[in-house]
Amino acid sequence: YAVTANSRLVVLTAGVRQQEGESRLNLVQRNVNVFKSIVPQIVKYSPNCSILVVSNPVDVLTYVTWKLSGLPKHRVIGSGTNLDSARFRYLMAERLGIHASSFNGWVLGEHGDTSVPVWSGANVAGVNLQKLNPEIGTDADKEQWKATHKAVVDSAYEVIKLKGYTNWAIGFSVADLTESIVKNLSRVHPVSTMVKDMYGIGEDVFLSLPCVLNGSGVGSVVNMTLTDGEVAQLRKSADTLWGIQKDLKDL
Amino acid sequence: DLCDELALVDVMEDKLKGEAMDLQHGALFLKTHKIVADKDYSVTANSKVVVVTAGARQQEGESRLNLVQRNVNIFKFIIPNIVKYSPNCILLVVSNPVDILTYVAWKLSGFPRHRVIGSGTNLDSARFRHLMGEKFHLHPSSCHGWIIGEHGDSSVAVWSGVNIAGVSLQNLNPNMGADGDSENWKDMHKKVVDGAYEVIKLKGYTSWAIGMSVADLVESIIKNLHKVHPVSTLIQGMHGVKDEVFLSIPCVLGNSGLTDVVHMTLKPEEEKQLAKSAETLWGVQKELTL
Repeated sequence: YAVTANSRLVVLTAGVRQQEGESRLNLVQRNVNVFKSIVPQIVKYSPNCSILVVSNPVDVLTYVTWKLSGLPKHRVIGSGTNLDSARFRYLMAERLGIHASSFNGWVLGEHGDTSVPVWSGANVAGVNLQKLNPEIGTDADKEQWKATHKAVVDSAYEVIKLKGYTNWAIGFSVADLTESIVKNLSRVHPVSTMVKDMYGIGEDVFLSLPCVLNGSGVGSVVNMTLTDGEVAQLRKSADTLWGIQKDLKDL
Repeated sequence: DLCDELALVDVMEDKLKGEAMDLQHGALFLKTHKIVADKDYSVTANSKVVVVTAGARQQEGESRLNLVQRNVNIFKFIIPNIVKYSPNCILLVVSNPVDILTYVAWKLSGFPRHRVIGSGTNLDSARFRHLMGEKFHLHPSSCHGWIIGEHGDSSVAVWSGVNIAGVSLQNLNPNMGADGDSENWKDMHKKVVDGAYEVIKLKGYTSWAIGMSVADLVESIIKNLHKVHPVSTLIQGMHGVKDEVFLSIPCVLGNSGLTDVVHMTLKPEEEKQLAKSAETLWGVQKELTL
């Protein structure tokens, strides 16, 4: 690790990845053990760095990295739902015939099976989709937009089944986050951060919310206006993650 | 972002679909609005540039020339399919042995020679300039050196052209590249020749450098830059070569393909090595049935 000395940003992708059909949460124990040997070494050589965690399950491992590193919470960031949101924006934009960057939509919470599509915020050029279609994302929705979010959740499993792993989209998404940090851009990204005391979450859980990323890491967290239903889903995501985290020992 | 539309074709259907999906998921970060993939060539219709990387690659310790028969057979299927759907495209051949396969693609496609280009020694030259950069602590783009001839074991380092800011290094060291050379430039060229074997031995294949070097060539073609690159082209009638051999010399690339070639003034030893490269390649080519 001497070769990493004085890094401004350290990206952590090490560990085991999902086999065909395997959930990210299943990787947790193996990867906690890998992190116990990696994180102290990173901090030893770059005590002032920010760490960007990508290994899965990313939300739990960002929490683990925060514990193992002793770094302040604004310098430990999980790649989180930056990728899920990118996939969501691509799939929604395809249905509407526009470029992904012109579709605004956020997927928050767990980077995984319980991620939350914030339908109340989805818009194109400021035109709110839920105002046009109040059923959007529900089972009653005639246009079945829920299927698009499901495709996001299934994305990684699909690609892994076809080619064995994913690399392109996650690589681009991490490069996007790195750019905001290294170039001090203060752009807002959905990334995994410590959310205790927000939305009524009482535990030390990391999950994705819109965060301002700049040269010092997470500058601030955007307090997104969510519907009661969306807050409930977020807390469900938090419960799932805390369920796993509380059993981890010796951090 | 080089192109607005990208089409991928392969015979391994699941892997192909997986790669296309993974790239599409990155659409937010790209400016390529259409990424499609199919084993059917109709998906490639009306392409401006078609890059062929298909075929067997070198195993550990294997020379590129050893791949020839397997890859000629694969090309017999691929090239006519490409031509059928993109009769006006520019063919950029990367599969090895690239010089021979560029010749094969030229024969099988019936295209004029300016539209069939081999990635050739663009990569070898890049590797050489990287090593030069390390030696002088300069960026490779400021180190000028051309490797021509076969993309492989018999490539030719044109010592007489190696320069930094126009200062000819051979003028400063007349022994450059020869056996008595105290700076051992010959070793630098050997490292270039051994480059691929080394990487293959360590990680099983090469991807990054060749990928970037091909992107560099595609950029010159698609953006009509008229940049000079060492790429594989028909050199019959140049440098004393009489056979229909393809090997790398400096060529000008634009959106109609190869627009001009640069006639390098080579020293007699360099001409001899180029002729030897041509002989090696012709020796393999003349045995092929197309």
